[in-house]
Amino acid sequence: MSLARYAARRLVFLVGTLFGASVITFALVNVLPGDVAVMILGTSGSQEQVAVLRQELGLNQPVYIRYIDWIAGALQGDLGRSLRFGDPVAALIAQRFPASAFLAFSALTIAVLVAIPLGVVAAVEQNTWKDFLTSVAAFAGISLPNFFWGMLLILLIASYASLLPPSGYVSPFVDPAAAVAHVLLPASALGFSLMAHITRMTRSSLIEELRSGYIELAKMKGLSDRRIVFRHALRNAFLPVLTVIGFQLGFLFGGIIIIEQLFAYPGLGRLAFNALLSRDAPLIQGSVLTIAVVFMTSNLVVDLLYAVIDPRVTSGGGS
Amino acid sequence: MSSHSTPPTDGELGSSAAADGDDHLLTVHGLETVFRTEEGTVTAVDDVDLHLDQGEIVGLVGESGAGKSATAESILRLIESPGEIAGGTVEYDGRDVLEMDESRLREFRGTDAGMVFQDPTGTLNPTMTVGRQVAEAVRSTDPSLSGAEVRERSVAIMERVGIPNAGSRYDEYPHQFSGGQKQRIVFGIAIASEPDLLVADEPTTALDVTIQAQILDLLVELRDEFGMSVLFITHDLGVVREVCDRVLVMYAGSVVESGAVESMFAEPRHPYTKGLLASNPGLDAEAVEGQGGAPDRLRVIEGSMPDLTGAFSGCKYADRCPGATEDCRRAHPGLERVDLDGTDREVACYRHEAIDDIEYTYDHEPRTLSWRAEDERAGASAEATPGVPDAGGGRAGDDPVLSATGLKKHFETGNLLDDLLGRGETVRAVDGIDLGIDAGETLGLVGESGCGKSTAARAILQLHEPTDGTVVYQGREITGSTKAELREIRRDLQVVFQNPQSSLNPRRTVGQIVRRPMKLHGLADADERRERARELITEVGLDERHLDRRPGDLSGGQQQRVAVARALAVNPEVIVLDEPVSGLDVSIQAQILNLLSDLQEDLGLSYLFISHNLSVIEHICDRVAVMYLGELVERGTTAEVFDPPFNPYTEALLSAIPGRVETEDRIVLEGDVPDPSNVPSGCRFHPRCPHKIGDVCETEKPAVHDPGDGHGIKCHLLREEYRDRVDWEEI
Repeated sequence: MSLARYAARRLVFLVGTLFGASVITFALVNVLPGDVAVMILGTSGSQEQVAVLRQELGLNQPVYIRYIDWIAGALQGDLGRSLRFGDPVAALIAQRFPASAFLAFSALTIAVLVAIPLGVVAAVEQNTWKDFLTSVAAFAGISLPNFFWGMLLILLIASYASLLPPSGYVSPFVDPAAAVAHVLLPASALGFSLMAHITRMTRSSLIEELRSGYIELAKMKGLSDRRIVFRHALRNAFLPVLTVIGFQLGFLFGGIIIIEQLFAYPGLGRLAFNALLSRDAPLIQGSVLTIAVVFMTSNLVVDLLYAVIDPRVTSGGGS
Repeated sequence: MSSHSTPPTDGELGSSAAADGDDHLLTVHGLETVFRTEEGTVTAVDDVDLHLDQGEIVGLVGESGAGKSATAESILRLIESPGEIAGGTVEYDGRDVLEMDESRLREFRGTDAGMVFQDPTGTLNPTMTVGRQVAEAVRSTDPSLSGAEVRERSVAIMERVGIPNAGSRYDEYPHQFSGGQKQRIVFGIAIASEPDLLVADEPTTALDVTIQAQILDLLVELRDEFGMSVLFITHDLGVVREVCDRVLVMYAGSVVESGAVESMFAEPRHPYTKGLLASNPGLDAEAVEGQGGAPDRLRVIEGSMPDLTGAFSGCKYADRCPGATEDCRRAHPGLERVDLDGTDREVACYRHEAIDDIEYTYDHEPRTLSWRAEDERAGASAEATPGVPDAGGGRAGDDPVLSATGLKKHFETGNLLDDLLGRGETVRAVDGIDLGIDAGETLGLVGESGCGKSTAARAILQLHEPTDGTVVYQGREITGSTKAELREIRRDLQVVFQNPQSSLNPRRTVGQIVRRPMKLHGLADADERRERARELITEVGLDERHLDRRPGDLSGGQQQRVAVARALAVNPEVIVLDEPVSGLDVSIQAQILNLLSDLQEDLGLSYLFISHNLSVIEHICDRVAVMYLGELVERGTTAEVFDPPFNPYTEALLSAIPGRVETEDRIVLEGDVPDPSNVPSGCRFHPRCPHKIGDVCETEKPAVHDPGDGHGIKCHLLREEYRDRVDWEEI
């Protein structure tokens, strides 16, 4: 099986999963307590007004018809209008999406760039003080929630040392330097636990790989330690790391909602959070669906990367 | 002496080594390697001396834990923490390997020495193409080569070690090669620098016997071509006899005996060597022929290797040695040079002069399990005498206890999507076999890996639902039984698997493990179950104190005894033994085989014994069925099938057993064990058959030829019109 066929096959599965996700998203919003029409009109609305609004919003129709209407619209890029803002949901999301994507991407980049070298050092110099320090830091990263790190960073670096701005967002296309300065703190806070997970997995997986038979063979070829670690062991050790990254991405996207609040960061997370508070059903559905699509797409990318690194994946039974 | 060819003498070869007066290429002196564990310091290699001369193959033989691999890895300084080389010298070409700095060590490994490992799958990097892995070794030998030259040399090496179409397979990954091919590639990497020293650590242990024969041939060829010296590590005495010139026997970290191979087989002087030879079924070594002991039992070395933590005062073998005296326990014997018929022998034993008086015996008191006899009496059986297969119990006299007719088990590969598109393949794991096991007998099912023998057993037990065919137990068809019925039947049909580590629950105690099947089947009350567990555990040769241990505290042999006890707990009639001794050392294997024979005699059990090891099959089985690609190609009594073999496949399998046949007559099957999802037309064996007649083998399925005594052979050679084509003398 070629890589292309493997990718095509995964895409087919993705469509199926997305359908499931859309159903769940829609169902969740529609079983939330509270009538949307009442929410919009507030306590001042009369019975008649509520009834008229329900008619207008199509709330009287059976739930599956409403789902079909919604999903048909979504497929054409129409996610309805926000009840609170009156604007099209798709436009609202499109406006906030780049900021969140930049934040998530930065968090992931920081995590990988810091964690993999740390993990390699910890594995190669196993049971030294370097390994010990790394383990302690990784343990702290896993144990403490990201808002704790966020608050710590704001306090120490933004307020106390005034090194970086504590809030806001600048587009990297407008002013790259300012964009990096603004994203550095929230992205670090967001990526901290991912970093810790990657470090730990890199360490244990590399230690494991360094014990395997092909390492002994590589030594018998007379290769240098550096080449043995980087050319042979690390590539194989990266496979379980990739699995952890794919798995942790979900937590990363979840973390966006809290971190964006903390850093007053104008992204999708804040949009979704506010939509939830104001029972803005179309906006909630739209945001959650978007996050789901992004999560699934990134997992698809992880799976494809896995197949690129490990040739056994695309060869059918032999994984 | 190797039967392949004599090694080139020193004079005929370049003398890159041997500059320091003696003509040894490698001299190891006083080597000591320890492993520092939480329980204490384990001395894995204890004051080992050895040397290798130019062009010779020296075997290092012993059971697991003997320190063979640790010795080899110490010589190449591959010992990793928590292991540590604590002392000694490894002199190669006038320099001590143990004193080399990093860059000289890399040079030594890269150009002077090569190594081949046990498991070719783990030895190749799964995410790098095999071509690049070979190329790395080539480049490391000569960094001045250009990219194209490296590739050219690498392809030439792959061709040299027998990879067909090496050029086009250069960019493939290890998983695209068969096990034998992977091992060939590892050989290629090892010889890429044309080293003077090759260390081969169990290079054929993970391979099928037919592939092993190919790889051993390759090893000897390469030795002859490059004039290498080979340190060959193995647990298999047959392999030693086949390829080695000299052999060193290791026990518990020490060399206990060394000398020329044939002389050692003819006249072992150390009691351990003698015991090892005696434990090996089918080695037909002269020294162990015609001595006392129970018929059909192997003479075994009792016990197992001692714990190597801490210091020893006496001979490490004393506890298991039938000839040990007080002197033996007082001080450790050193290697002593003995002259035997002009060949050098070194032996570490105070009593080696008296070796003829040191005999291994095996005794067993026939007995039965108390409740089994009661059960059989209660079962209105005419005959309940232990040791005699009971013919009662409602089944007709001559019918087999358990039989399968036209049994098939096919697997569909691919997922739902493939099914819809009709792309899935059918793996014909078992493709229409007939088997019958008579009461009290052992039927052997033998074949290469992937031939379907384990699947067949699972289909018979209804662990896999058969695709087609019927299975009859005691006159009653069990295919298509309901779950409740199957539960009842499974009480009578028990199974013992190859790997007790995975088949015994590590969290339960041995007592719980043995009692559990009785509990599940509602046999006896709690007190009675305890009583039975005690009886069972002694019956399989363990002590009551083992009942409170967990599997992790037991050795492999003891674990397998527990697995047998568990199978016996529900009083079965038939036990399916799926490679029950394949993971065990020779001396432990012999103990388990004897145990199984004893139990069969005492309790009248029937066995279906699955193994790839023909020597074991030949030793323990009354009748044999030979399986190839899902079909039976021959069946009959052990003597009919093996002595002499008629089916070309049976013949080839037998001939591949190392250490038995004169090598000139050896049939080395070419090619790999085939793929059951793509079975050849006609006779399935035709692509590898050394006696292929012609088109008929490719187009027509051979019928079973039955001379009328139950011996069935599936081969066109036996058809009237081809008989004159066969040279019966040759077969």
